[in-house]
Order: sequence, then structure tokens, then C-alpha cells
Amino acid sequence: DATQGAAGDCRPCPCPGGATCAVVPKTREVVCTNCPAGTTGKRCELCDDGFFGDPLGQNGPARPCRSCQCSNNIDPNAVGNCNRETGECLKCIYNTDGFFCDRCKAGFFGDPHASNPAEKCAACSCSPLGTVDQQTSCSPVTGQCQCLPNVDERDCSACQLGFFNLQSGNGCEECNCNPIGSTS
Amino acid sequence: RPRPDVVLPPGTHLLFAQSGRIDHIPLEAYNMKKQDAKAVLHLPGKAIIGVAYDCMEKMVYWTEISSPSISKASIDGGEPTAVITSDLSSPEGIAVDHLGRTMFWTDSVADRIEVASLDGTQRRVLIDTDLVNPRAIVTDPINGNLYWADWNREAPKIETSYMDGSNRRLLVQSELGLPNALTYDSQSSLLCWADAGTHKMECMNPGRAQRSTVLEGLQYPFGITTFGKNLYYTDWQRDAVVEVDQYAGKESDEFQPQKRTNIYGITTAYAQCLPGQNYCSVN
Repeated sequence: DATQGAAGDCRPCPCPGGATCAVVPKTREVVCTNCPAGTTGKRCELCDDGFFGDPLGQNGPARPCRSCQCSNNIDPNAVGNCNRETGECLKCIYNTDGFFCDRCKAGFFGDPHASNPAEKCAACSCSPLGTVDQQTSCSPVTGQCQCLPNVDERDCSACQLGFFNLQSGNGCEECNCNPIGSTS
Repeated sequence: RPRPDVVLPPGTHLLFAQSGRIDHIPLEAYNMKKQDAKAVLHLPGKAIIGVAYDCMEKMVYWTEISSPSISKASIDGGEPTAVITSDLSSPEGIAVDHLGRTMFWTDSVADRIEVASLDGTQRRVLIDTDLVNPRAIVTDPINGNLYWADWNREAPKIETSYMDGSNRRLLVQSELGLPNALTYDSQSSLLCWADAGTHKMECMNPGRAQRSTVLEGLQYPFGITTFGKNLYYTDWQRDAVVEVDQYAGKESDEFQPQKRTNIYGITTAYAQCLPGQNYCSVN
């Protein structure tokens, strides 16, 4: 503050890269006003929206700000796509989930890294009649639902050969056909 | 040396958000006084998205997503005050009904539109169905209408309802891409939007449902506001506030702040409220 006080009251801005600063009148707090590109915060210690890092190395080695790394599973038109410090992805799309949008969300399976969004993560669609406890989740990679005894198919929608009565909800029963009178 | 939290001189200003601060540009006879642009509020560390202005109490309101909240401050040099801090995920667009003394906002993760009194009380969910990426929201206080845009890439749309959420109607759904920006001019009764997908700026009179293109070839509009003959939009590609003469249908000026980073919401801080009243202001 040069408007009152003594010589030497003006001190250099505590900002990186020669950024300018100012004093908030009410709180007397010093804030940097022109942080280097991609950075923000009182001391330019944060990354701008859409970027993450630790530009001043406040928590370990300095990590320059870079754009959110979310496996191409975020929308560039969205805001707040990742945590500005950790980079944790916050707005995964195409039914993906996880720190880097790198896995299918619960109830979906497939390859989150597929280039075509339609081939990324599909719904498990487990058949409620053939699935243990009517679960809605499946193997995230193969999509196999957890089938009741003697139930078949990825989505547990059919009885194994030689079994019937999926409708029971307890798995399928053996046909017990007389081998002499049956064609199969 | 710029001082933050300056007292705005009288007159009409543009207010816009960029990387932890809200800046203003004075308007003089519809022109931007670019040399007088400076910070109104330093909010270091905040990721400010939407801004709105209450002409009665001369307060700026904003949404923030790094620790999701809605806050306000007097443009006559007041301290920022949080008004809503709970149950927010990604609050984006914000609009004020200066007559009804309420504010409306969109939340793009909760996928809803909410309303509350300007002090944060009497909060209520207005719309929570058929929203995917709601962002821009604006009010028409005199007629009691609300307008918002949803940039859902599968089915972008602009919708309207009364200010209580009733009488919801689809206003525009064809030939939209990413309608990020929306503004309503009470004097011309025109609803205008800027689209980062079609790269067009368009206007319509919501009562007549007739669309007209103001300008094509926009780069990446995010926010838009209106004042008289001009529309002003923020552009993520150019990191600038761009002035468009809506009747001439051309760009007439641009302001590029020193800092090169995305500019988000923009609003007009009118010198005075336009006269008028609505149902909520008398009841």
C-alpha cells in the first residue's frame, strides 16, 4: 500500500512468473491478478477449469497444469470435467466411470477405450428371472451376468440344453425326458 | 496497479467471469469502454460459471463449481456472501427475477432447475424431468416467463415455463447443436441464443415462434447478454467478449482480457431497473 506509510512498504508480488498482484481492501489479502497461462488462485497455485496439476508443487513435486485425462470419455463442452488438483474425472459420459473414466459404470460392460462411443459400454440387461438375486450388474469386460443353476447365455435368459422352467426364478430344472421316446 | 473490488461508476456495465474473477466493462452509448475494463471481484481459486445481476440491490450473483455454491456481492464494493452451499453438484446458469426477488439456476449433474429467494431461503425444485445438460437460463420478469437451454448432444432444446415451473413447453428443437448461451431482452421481447455446435446466433420472439439468424460463423460461444441494439457473447476459442450489432448482423467490437483463458458467463448490469411488476412482486 503506497497511499500511506513509509518507504519500503511496497513489496514485490508473491506471484510466479512476474504476475501482478493487488490487495483486497477489506481483508488486506494479497492476490495475484495475472497468473501465468492455465493457472489461477491467490498465488497461482491452482489450475484453470478443465486442467489439473500442482503448478507450485504444494503437495510434492511440481506438476504443470494439463488438460483433464479422462480416456476421451468427457464432453469438451462441459465444465468441471476433472478435479483441478488430483485430475479425478468428475463428468464421465458414455456410461463410463472411474478416476479416469476408464471403466464401465455399474450395470454396464464393454471397452471404455473403444473409439466408437456406441462400442464403449453397453447395459448388462441381465434377465431378472435367470440371474442370482436379480442382480443388475455383470462382468465389466465380458458382460456375463451371474446365472442361477442350469441357466445359460450372457444375460441368463435361457435354460441350458436339457433344462426348462426359467420362469420359476430358482434356476432351470432337468427335463427328465424318457430317452426312448424323445428326439433329443 | 489494479485494485480489486472496485466500486463501479454509474451507468451500465457488462459483468463476466474468467478464472477466479468477475470483471466489468463499462458501456457507453452501446460501446464497450475497453480501456476501463477491470476486475470487480477477485475470487481466487473459484471456478465461476454463471453470473446474474439484480438491478434493485445492485448485486451480482454467481455460480461456482469448485466447491459448488451460489454467492452474491454488491457491485458497490461489498463482501462476497454465500447464499446457497448445500445440495449443489454443478450449478451453471443463473438468472434473477428482480421483481419477484427470486433467483433460478440450472444444475447439470443433478439435472434440475431450482428457484430460491435471493437470500437463499424458500428453495424449491422447479423442473427435474427431461433435462440432460441444462446450462443457460434467463427470466422475463414482466411476463413471468422462464427460458432455459439444454445442450444435450442427442437432443438439444430450448424450453420455457412460467416462473413456478408450470406450463412447460418446448420452444426450439430443430437445427440446434450446443446452445450454450441464452438471453432475453425485455424491451424488444426477443429471446436470443448462441450455439457452439451450429456456430450461429439466432433470435426469436417467443410469442410468435419465428426464428431469425443474426450471425453465422461464431467460434465457441459460452455466454450471451443483451443491451439495446447489441448482443455480447463470450467465446472460448477467442477468449474474448464479442460485441454483435444485432440489426446490422455483424460483429462490431471485441474485448480480449490480458489473461488468455476461457471466459464463462456474462450479464448486463443495468444502471436502472426497467419499470414493471409481476404477480410475484404484488403477491
